[in-house]
Amino acid sequence: MVRTPLSELRGSEQENDASPPLSYSEQFHKVFPMYLAMGMTYEQFWDGDSILAVDYRKADEIRNDKLNQQLWLQGMYIYEALCDVAPILRAFPKKGTKPHKYPAEPYAISQKERKQKSEQKEKLVAEKGKAMLDAMIRKQKNPQPIKEEKEVKEYADNR
Amino acid sequence: MSKQLRFSYKDKDYCLEFTRRTVEQMERNGFVASDIKDKPMLTLPALFAGAFLANHRFVKADLINEIYDHMTEKTELIGKLAEMYNEPIMTLVEEPDEKAEGNVSWTASW
Repeated sequence: MVRTPLSELRGSEQENDASPPLSYSEQFHKVFPMYLAMGMTYEQFWDGDSILAVDYRKADEIRNDKLNQQLWLQGMYIYEALCDVAPILRAFPKKGTKPHKYPAEPYAISQKERKQKSEQKEKLVAEKGKAMLDAMIRKQKNPQPIKEEKEVKEYADNR
Repeated sequence: MSKQLRFSYKDKDYCLEFTRRTVEQMERNGFVASDIKDKPMLTLPALFAGAFLANHRFVKADLINEIYDHMTEKTELIGKLAEMYNEPIMTLVEEPDEKAEGNVSWTASW
Protein backbone atom coordinates (compact mmCIF):
# COMPACT_ATOMS: atom_id res chain seq x y z
CA MET A 1 0.00 0.00 0.00
CA VAL A 2 1.39 3.38 -0.96
CA ARG A 3 1.21 5.77 1.95
CA THR A 4 1.67 9.49 2.12
CA PRO A 5 2.23 10.39 5.73
CA LEU A 6 1.91 14.04 6.65
CA SER A 7 5.54 14.13 7.78
CA GLU A 8 6.58 13.13 4.28
CA LEU A 9 4.43 15.83 2.73
CA ARG A 10 5.99 18.41 5.00
CA GLY A 11 9.31 17.99 3.23
CA SER A 12 12.80 17.01 4.18
CA GLU A 13 12.74 18.24 7.76
CA GLN A 14 15.20 15.64 8.90
CA GLU A 15 17.64 16.32 6.12
CA ASN A 16 17.72 20.05 6.64
CA ASP A 17 15.90 21.63 9.52
CA ALA A 18 16.30 25.12 8.09
CA SER A 19 14.48 24.29 4.86
CA PRO A 20 10.98 25.74 4.66
CA PRO A 21 8.06 23.33 4.53
CA LEU A 22 6.92 22.38 1.06
CA SER A 23 4.21 24.52 -0.48
CA TYR A 24 0.96 22.85 -1.48
CA SER A 25 2.02 22.94 -5.13
CA GLU A 26 5.31 21.26 -4.38
CA GLN A 27 3.52 18.62 -2.36
CA PHE A 28 1.10 18.01 -5.23
CA HIS A 29 3.97 17.61 -7.69
CA LYS A 30 5.79 15.33 -5.28
CA VAL A 31 2.96 12.81 -5.04
CA PHE A 32 1.61 13.24 -8.57
CA PRO A 33 3.73 10.42 -10.14
CA MET A 34 2.50 8.03 -7.47
CA TYR A 35 -1.13 8.74 -8.39
CA LEU A 36 -0.30 8.46 -12.10
CA ALA A 37 1.10 5.01 -11.33
CA MET A 38 -2.18 4.13 -9.63
CA GLY A 39 -3.99 4.92 -12.87
CA MET A 40 -5.25 8.42 -12.12
CA THR A 41 -5.22 10.69 -15.17
CA TYR A 42 -3.65 14.14 -15.34
CA GLU A 43 -7.09 15.79 -15.51
CA GLN A 44 -8.46 13.76 -12.62
CA PHE A 45 -5.56 14.70 -10.39
CA TRP A 46 -5.34 18.40 -11.19
CA ASP A 47 -8.88 19.39 -12.19
CA GLY A 48 -11.07 16.63 -10.85
CA ASP A 49 -12.76 16.06 -7.54
CA SER A 50 -10.01 15.96 -4.92
CA ILE A 51 -11.76 13.12 -3.05
CA LEU A 52 -10.99 10.91 -6.05
CA ALA A 53 -7.44 10.51 -4.73
CA VAL A 54 -8.79 8.66 -1.68
CA ASP A 55 -10.76 6.27 -3.91
CA TYR A 56 -7.72 5.63 -6.08
CA ARG A 57 -5.67 4.80 -2.99
CA LYS A 58 -8.33 2.35 -1.79
CA ALA A 59 -8.57 0.80 -5.27
CA ASP A 60 -4.81 0.45 -5.34
CA GLU A 61 -4.91 -1.32 -1.98
CA ILE A 62 -7.52 -3.76 -3.31
CA ARG A 63 -5.46 -4.30 -6.48
CA ASN A 64 -2.36 -5.05 -4.41
CA ASP A 65 -4.28 -7.51 -2.22
CA LYS A 66 -5.59 -9.23 -5.32
CA LEU A 67 -2.15 -9.43 -6.87
CA ASN A 68 -0.77 -10.82 -3.62
CA GLN A 69 -3.47 -13.49 -3.61
CA GLN A 70 -2.76 -14.38 -7.25
CA LEU A 71 0.94 -14.73 -6.56
CA TRP A 72 0.21 -16.86 -3.52
CA LEU A 73 -2.06 -19.09 -5.58
CA GLN A 74 0.58 -19.40 -8.27
CA GLY A 75 3.04 -20.43 -5.57
CA MET A 76 0.58 -23.08 -4.40
CA TYR A 77 0.28 -24.53 -7.90
CA ILE A 78 4.04 -24.59 -8.32
CA TYR A 79 4.42 -26.21 -4.90
CA GLU A 80 1.83 -28.83 -5.73
CA ALA A 81 3.43 -29.54 -9.12
CA LEU A 82 6.79 -30.03 -7.42
CA CYS A 83 5.25 -32.36 -4.83
CA ASP A 84 3.59 -34.31 -7.64
CA VAL A 85 6.80 -34.94 -9.53
CA ALA A 86 8.85 -35.38 -6.37
CA PRO A 87 8.68 -39.23 -6.42
CA ILE A 88 10.50 -39.43 -9.77
CA LEU A 89 12.99 -36.77 -8.84
CA ARG A 90 14.64 -39.02 -6.29
CA ALA A 91 18.13 -40.19 -7.12
CA PHE A 92 17.28 -43.88 -7.14
CA PRO A 93 13.52 -44.30 -7.43
CA LYS A 94 11.93 -47.71 -7.27
CA LYS A 95 11.16 -49.31 -10.59
CA GLY A 96 7.81 -48.24 -11.92
CA THR A 97 7.62 -45.08 -9.81
CA LYS A 98 5.33 -42.56 -11.43
CA PRO A 99 4.62 -38.92 -10.64
CA HIS A 100 1.37 -38.13 -8.86
CA LYS A 101 -1.40 -36.85 -11.03
CA TYR A 102 -1.60 -33.06 -11.21
CA PRO A 103 -5.12 -31.82 -10.29
CA ALA A 104 -7.42 -31.94 -13.29
CA GLU A 105 -9.15 -28.73 -12.27
CA PRO A 106 -7.98 -25.46 -10.77
CA TYR A 107 -8.67 -24.83 -7.08
CA ALA A 108 -12.13 -23.67 -6.20
CA ILE A 109 -11.61 -20.13 -5.02
CA SER A 110 -15.00 -18.47 -4.89
CA GLN A 111 -17.81 -19.52 -2.56
CA LYS A 112 -19.89 -20.55 -5.56
CA GLU A 113 -17.13 -22.73 -6.98
CA ARG A 114 -16.51 -24.35 -3.60
CA LYS A 115 -20.21 -25.11 -3.25
CA GLN A 116 -20.38 -26.54 -6.76
CA LYS A 117 -17.35 -28.73 -6.15
CA SER A 118 -18.69 -30.06 -2.85
CA GLU A 119 -22.06 -30.79 -4.48
CA GLN A 120 -20.30 -32.60 -7.30
CA LYS A 121 -18.34 -34.67 -4.80
CA GLU A 122 -21.49 -35.55 -2.84
CA LYS A 123 -23.24 -36.54 -6.05
CA LEU A 124 -20.35 -38.79 -7.04
CA VAL A 125 -20.33 -40.50 -3.65
CA ALA A 126 -24.10 -41.03 -3.80
CA GLU A 127 -23.87 -42.48 -7.30
CA LYS A 128 -21.12 -44.84 -6.26
CA GLY A 129 -23.16 -45.99 -3.26
CA LYS A 130 -26.21 -46.53 -5.43
CA ALA A 131 -24.19 -48.53 -7.93
CA MET A 132 -22.86 -50.76 -5.18
CA LEU A 133 -26.34 -51.25 -3.83
CA ASP A 134 -27.64 -52.14 -7.30
CA ALA A 135 -24.89 -54.70 -7.71
CA MET A 136 -25.69 -56.26 -4.35
CA ILE A 137 -29.38 -56.52 -5.22
CA ARG A 138 -28.54 -58.05 -8.56
CA LYS A 139 -26.33 -60.53 -6.83
CA GLN A 140 -29.09 -61.54 -4.42
CA LYS A 141 -31.65 -61.88 -7.20
CA ASN A 142 -29.33 -63.74 -9.47
CA PRO A 143 -26.88 -65.64 -7.33
CA GLN A 144 -24.41 -66.43 -10.06
CA PRO A 145 -20.81 -66.50 -9.22
CA ILE A 146 -19.73 -63.04 -10.20
CA LYS A 147 -16.31 -61.55 -10.06
CA GLU A 148 -17.33 -59.91 -6.82
CA GLU A 149 -15.77 -56.63 -5.97
CA LYS A 150 -14.00 -56.09 -9.24
CA GLU A 151 -17.26 -56.14 -11.17
CA VAL A 152 -19.00 -53.95 -8.63
CA LYS A 153 -16.18 -51.45 -8.89
CA GLU A 154 -16.24 -51.50 -12.68
CA TYR A 155 -19.97 -51.04 -12.66
CA ALA A 156 -19.70 -48.15 -10.23
CA ASP A 157 -16.93 -46.54 -12.22
CA ASN A 158 -18.92 -46.81 -15.41
CA ARG A 159 -21.80 -45.05 -13.76
CA MET B 1 -17.59 14.68 -3.68
CA SER B 2 -15.32 17.52 -2.71
CA LYS B 3 -16.40 20.35 -0.41
CA GLN B 4 -18.30 23.07 -2.24
CA LEU B 5 -19.82 26.39 -1.31
CA ARG B 6 -23.03 27.20 -3.15
CA PHE B 7 -25.00 30.43 -3.31
CA SER B 8 -27.00 32.59 -5.69
CA TYR B 9 -26.28 36.19 -6.50
CA LYS B 10 -28.42 38.26 -8.85
CA ASP B 11 -30.24 35.19 -10.16
CA LYS B 12 -27.02 33.38 -10.97
CA ASP B 13 -25.95 30.22 -9.16
CA TYR B 14 -22.38 29.89 -8.02
CA CYS B 15 -20.52 26.82 -6.88
CA LEU B 16 -17.17 27.56 -5.30
CA GLU B 17 -14.53 24.89 -4.84
CA PHE B 18 -10.81 24.30 -5.06
CA THR B 19 -8.96 21.83 -7.21
CA ARG B 20 -5.25 21.06 -7.04
CA ARG B 21 -4.74 23.15 -10.14
CA THR B 22 -6.48 26.23 -8.70
CA VAL B 23 -4.56 25.88 -5.44
CA GLU B 24 -1.33 25.72 -7.43
CA GLN B 25 -2.39 28.72 -9.47
CA MET B 26 -3.15 30.74 -6.34
CA GLU B 27 0.25 29.91 -4.88
CA ARG B 28 1.88 30.96 -8.12
CA ASN B 29 0.10 34.29 -7.74
CA GLY B 30 1.57 34.75 -4.27
CA PHE B 31 -1.05 33.22 -2.01
CA VAL B 32 0.42 31.64 1.11
CA ALA B 33 -1.72 29.15 3.03
CA SER B 34 -0.21 29.96 6.42
CA ASP B 35 -1.47 33.55 6.10
CA ILE B 36 -5.00 32.25 6.66
CA LYS B 37 -4.02 31.72 10.29
CA ASP B 38 -1.83 34.79 10.73
CA LYS B 39 -3.88 37.45 8.93
CA PRO B 40 -7.27 35.94 8.18
CA MET B 41 -9.19 39.10 7.31
CA LEU B 42 -6.56 40.13 4.74
CA THR B 43 -6.38 36.69 3.22
CA LEU B 44 -10.10 36.04 3.03
CA PRO B 45 -10.81 38.12 -0.12
CA ALA B 46 -7.97 36.40 -2.00
CA LEU B 47 -9.16 33.01 -0.80
CA PHE B 48 -12.72 33.86 -1.79
CA ALA B 49 -11.59 34.99 -5.25
CA GLY B 50 -9.48 31.85 -5.66
CA ALA B 51 -12.51 29.67 -5.03
CA PHE B 52 -14.05 31.05 -8.24
CA LEU B 53 -11.20 29.72 -10.40
CA ALA B 54 -12.44 26.14 -10.60
CA ASN B 55 -15.97 26.74 -11.88
CA HIS B 56 -16.25 30.46 -12.64
CA ARG B 57 -12.86 31.33 -14.06
CA PHE B 58 -14.05 34.28 -16.11
CA VAL B 59 -15.98 36.16 -13.45
CA LYS B 60 -14.47 39.62 -13.14
CA ALA B 61 -12.67 40.71 -10.00
CA ASP B 62 -15.11 43.60 -9.50
CA LEU B 63 -18.06 41.24 -9.39
CA ILE B 64 -16.23 38.90 -7.02
CA ASN B 65 -15.51 41.81 -4.69
CA GLU B 66 -19.14 42.88 -4.92
CA ILE B 67 -20.32 39.39 -4.03
CA TYR B 68 -17.79 39.23 -1.23
CA ASP B 69 -19.08 42.47 0.24
CA HIS B 70 -22.57 41.03 0.31
CA MET B 71 -21.55 37.77 1.94
CA THR B 72 -22.83 37.38 5.48
CA GLU B 73 -21.20 35.55 8.41
CA LYS B 74 -17.69 36.19 7.23
CA THR B 75 -16.05 34.56 10.27
CA GLU B 76 -17.72 31.29 9.44
CA LEU B 77 -17.00 31.82 5.77
CA ILE B 78 -13.25 31.94 6.32
CA GLY B 79 -13.36 28.67 8.23
CA LYS B 80 -15.27 26.98 5.45
CA LEU B 81 -13.05 28.42 2.74
CA ALA B 82 -9.93 27.34 4.63
CA GLU B 83 -11.37 23.83 4.94
CA MET B 84 -12.12 23.79 1.23
CA TYR B 85 -8.65 25.07 0.42
CA ASN B 86 -7.03 22.38 2.52
CA GLU B 87 -9.07 19.56 1.07
CA PRO B 88 -6.95 18.92 -2.06
CA ILE B 89 -3.92 18.32 0.15
CA MET B 90 -5.70 16.53 2.98
CA THR B 91 -7.12 13.93 0.60
CA LEU B 92 -3.53 12.95 -0.21
CA VAL B 93 -2.81 12.18 3.42
CA GLU B 94 -3.40 8.68 4.71
CA GLU B 95 -5.89 8.59 7.58
CA PRO B 96 -4.55 6.38 10.37
CA ASP B 97 -6.81 3.59 11.57
CA GLU B 98 -8.88 4.92 14.49
CA LYS B 99 -8.91 1.60 16.29
CA ALA B 100 -5.24 0.82 15.85
CA GLU B 101 -3.23 0.79 19.03
CA GLY B 102 -1.33 3.98 19.78
CA ASN B 103 -3.47 6.24 17.59
CA VAL B 104 -4.99 9.24 19.31
CA SER B 105 -8.68 10.07 19.16
CA TRP B 106 -9.70 13.58 20.16
CA THR B 107 -12.72 15.77 20.85
CA ALA B 108 -13.28 19.53 20.57
CA SER B 109 -15.15 21.58 23.14
CA TRP B 110 -17.03 23.85 20.72
